[in-house]
Amino acid sequence: MGILQRITRNIDNRYWDPGLIGFPVKNSYTAGVAGQRFFEEIKENGRIFGSKCAGCDLTYVPARIYCERCLSGLEEKDWVDVGDEGTVYAYTEVHQTKSGEAKEKPSLIAAVKIADGLLIHRLGDCLPEAVHIGMPVKAEFKPKNERQGGIEDIKYFKPF
Amino acid sequence: MNKRVAIVGLGHSGFGTTSPDLSYREMIFEAATRCYEDAGGIHPQSIDSFVASSEDFMEGISIADEYVPDQLGAVLKPVHSIAGDSLQGLASAMMQIKTGQQNIVAASSFSKVSNLSNHEHLISYATDPAYIRPFNENPYFIAGLEMNRYLHETGTTREQCAAVVVKNKYNALNNPGAVYAAKVELEDITTAPYLSAPLGIFDMSGHLDGSIVILLASEDKAWELTDKPIWINGIGWATDTPNLDSRLEGLGSARYAKLAAEKAYRMAGITNPFHEIDFAEIDDTFSYKELQHLEALNICGPGEAGQLLELGCFAPGGDFPVNVSGGSLGCGYLHEANGLQRVAETVRQLRKEAGKRQLPEAETGLAFAWRGVPTATGAAVVLSTRP
Repeated sequence: MGILQRITRNIDNRYWDPGLIGFPVKNSYTAGVAGQRFFEEIKENGRIFGSKCAGCDLTYVPARIYCERCLSGLEEKDWVDVGDEGTVYAYTEVHQTKSGEAKEKPSLIAAVKIADGLLIHRLGDCLPEAVHIGMPVKAEFKPKNERQGGIEDIKYFKPF
Repeated sequence: MNKRVAIVGLGHSGFGTTSPDLSYREMIFEAATRCYEDAGGIHPQSIDSFVASSEDFMEGISIADEYVPDQLGAVLKPVHSIAGDSLQGLASAMMQIKTGQQNIVAASSFSKVSNLSNHEHLISYATDPAYIRPFNENPYFIAGLEMNRYLHETGTTREQCAAVVVKNKYNALNNPGAVYAAKVELEDITTAPYLSAPLGIFDMSGHLDGSIVILLASEDKAWELTDKPIWINGIGWATDTPNLDSRLEGLGSARYAKLAAEKAYRMAGITNPFHEIDFAEIDDTFSYKELQHLEALNICGPGEAGQLLELGCFAPGGDFPVNVSGGSLGCGYLHEANGLQRVAETVRQLRKEAGKRQLPEAETGLAFAWRGVPTATGAAVVLSTRP
């Protein structure tokens, strides 16, 4: 057993164009019970909600309907308004686009610690060299009439 | 139950940054037939069962397990796929033997990532559609966040991370199969453009095509197939939360690696890995990951890996050689086949077949694989010349 003949010239290699035989994947996602409510509160009231597991003494942000540690259900009474302020837990300056090309202007992305959760979002109104771990930041919401019920209803987090 | 399990055969196809001459099926066929030849020329009819590891879409196909059997000689045989790193596939193959259900099992893996024209889009597709994907960012921003947090928590420096790249690419010069081998200076790495700061473009390993097939056998069968069986003495795997929003503890440290290693060490009866293991082949998908993983694998304490690296501890001549093969930074990144590549290199060292890079002391080795961004899954295995 073994391969005896190989292709040895590039000119003999063929490939098949994915444009012809690939497929355009299209999906529609739902955010779920917790996600729907979480985004609804941002859109309508400009409020960020978490959900607290009393047993684990842990407040998830964004809110969810179960605790991933003890698998308890988190219900209406467990939802807490966690405010619109947090601290930078980790940050990065992204220099490449999703297609792997150099960006004209790098973007700042942070894991913002709010209660016991990390909200991944953009940083704005600040210089990259001024950002540091532990820096207090505050959510800058889009004007209400521009909000669509998604994570980008928050424009970015900014220092205050 | 509880039969001893050995690695009795090893074969690979590749490696190259592209592989236009072979289809992925031919690539696996080549690795499989070389593996069977290595195991005393066993005929696939004598192999009881097959485990393949692959991820959908990575090679432009989906429902990947339907693409497995023929090139392995597994048609009309028990076969299943693991949608995970091939080290998890190795664990699955090993368990089939441990239960007494099978005696000889093949584990296969491959990467034909050069088929993919927009890799980052696929990785991005693995992130949460409501909370992460709307930002439309290069998904390696997650590695940027991790590195930032790891450096902050441990005091490890950016230069120490770059030193991992220098070491592994240099080690790779002694490995004829290492595509990304090079002699580079620290400044070449630290002054390169950023991918996602503090992560530079050379802190990330490059893509690689290739296939690896490994044959496992129970103790009684092992001695029939080879005179150099390598024993799987311990194996473990673990997954941290997939949600970035609850990785408060897991963003800066590799908890999955800690848990996976603890299980593998316990099974192998290892209490002090630094002293009881001679060398390691561990995940270095990104420069900082090698240091973070060394600490999680309890080879050293938190925040110590960078300094030990600078002292030469992890060099081929050091107290605990790490990635003598060149690792992913020197050899290239094989996606779900990474785990078996780490295992294959460990087996070569233990068999004393590692050529110019052969370590003088190689009786027990550790292999560890991580599934890469955005996952938090890792698997560890302790291999030895002694059962």
